[in-house]
Amino acid sequence: MSILVQFVRRIDKEVQFEMKYMLMFIDGGEGMSQTPEGQAVYARITEWFDKLGQSGKFKSGEELQPVRSATTIRFNGGRPIVTDGPFVESKETVGGFAVIEAADLDEAIEIAKAWPGGGLVEVRPCVDHSPAM
Amino acid sequence: MRLLGDFDLAEELVQDAIVEALEHWPRDGLPERPGAWLMSTARRKAIDRARRHTRLREKLTLLVASEPPPAAGYEPEDRLRLIFTCCHPSLARDAQVALTLRAVAGLTTAQIAHAFLVPEATVAKRIVRAKRKIVEAHIPYRVPAPDRLRERLEEVLAVLYLMFNEGYLSSGPELPERRDLARDAEWLASLLVRLVPDEPEPLGLLALMRLHLARAAARFDSGGELVLLEDQDRTLWDGPGIAAAGRLIARAATFRRPGPYQLQAAIVAVHSESRTWQETDWPQIAVLYELLLEQLDTPVVRLNRAIALRWVLGPSAALAELDSLAQELSGYHLLHATRAVMLRALGREEEAANADSLALELTANPAERSLIARRLAAEA
Repeated sequence: MSILVQFVRRIDKEVQFEMKYMLMFIDGGEGMSQTPEGQAVYARITEWFDKLGQSGKFKSGEELQPVRSATTIRFNGGRPIVTDGPFVESKETVGGFAVIEAADLDEAIEIAKAWPGGGLVEVRPCVDHSPAM
Repeated sequence: MRLLGDFDLAEELVQDAIVEALEHWPRDGLPERPGAWLMSTARRKAIDRARRHTRLREKLTLLVASEPPPAAGYEPEDRLRLIFTCCHPSLARDAQVALTLRAVAGLTTAQIAHAFLVPEATVAKRIVRAKRKIVEAHIPYRVPAPDRLRERLEEVLAVLYLMFNEGYLSSGPELPERRDLARDAEWLASLLVRLVPDEPEPLGLLALMRLHLARAAARFDSGGELVLLEDQDRTLWDGPGIAAAGRLIARAATFRRPGPYQLQAAIVAVHSESRTWQETDWPQIAVLYELLLEQLDTPVVRLNRAIALRWVLGPSAALAELDSLAQELSGYHLLHATRAVMLRALGREEEAANADSLALELTANPAERSLIARRLAAEA
């Protein structure tokens, strides 16, 4: 067996180090609906966050105001230009986000799959800026 | 956060901390709480080590994934990890295929490019991107947990079947130098069967591939033209190979967990075990398609079922089923080619010719083009 493979196996056994992932919750840009169904979904989302908090994997997160409240600053050629609206006009917009800690992409995907808010969730790993190497 | 999985390592770290204490304390004086000092030093060392190891692991995963397999082979467990990493659902399908062929089957980038008729640079780019994502997104190098194994296995099977079809369906006499991807896929499937012996679907896929390969010799005539199943010289089929594949299906059936690959293999087995086209057990095939539809309700499966329906219920019933798929499969040449067959059986020659012309426009495969062209010529 290759020495490389032996190494990987040993290290895998010894160490599991957490990674940060950002989950972006994408919706129709209208914010949460006030209907009873919307409120029920909202309650499940709260529960999801509570559970994540209790597991110690939650780092931070926010629900965003509807996309109509967005302002974009562009730096085309240097001078900042302020405009109304999101950075890209789309039916799908970021409605909120959570930064979580997970051992690897599989764990992050499991957490994202349990998201009760519908729409879609984009999972992005965060760059690790910790100094040790 | 689980930093350390084993006690020996923890002990080693505490020892490291004591060594550090022996250096520092005589020089800097005794800390206020020596015990706490030791623990926090050991913990810091653990974190350092964990970080170093995580990065080291990422690099090693990459190295393992980019090296062709050693001649002596990996340990089974490592091969299986590698397969699941290469076929991770977060990688694009073409990247999964390229990475699996490279890292598990040991093909060179040039061989993969040649097999898929794409530039070598394209394959190289796919592999580089996939490897970068494995590192950046921290795709784990391990076999999925038991509760996720079947779901992830489906992904692996889909990659292998796509590989096989690419090799098998697009193989033609005009490209004899093209690498036999179908054989590579079959080898990978047999590997998977050995690695995951408690799952029936890999057995089903392997049987399916072997049944196709066992009949490959009859697919082209001496002039290099594609021969339909109906017209194939069945004496050219590999009887013992077909029987062996049948035993794989029987073995899979003992698990009592039918799945799409087992059912597709069973359908092909019914065809393969029939001595002549006329003796084909169509009712059994139709039943197997019904079961398959329960597991895998796709327009293509419905199309294939319609072909069987022709021999059970007649061409009008088959045509009605095909027409219900017209919208979803309007860009699929086999829908039009199959419609042509049914229309011709019903004596609607002109419509049949139109359907064949559509099919001809929609396929690039030379063997299939030639077959449809011959059919159209026979009409004229």
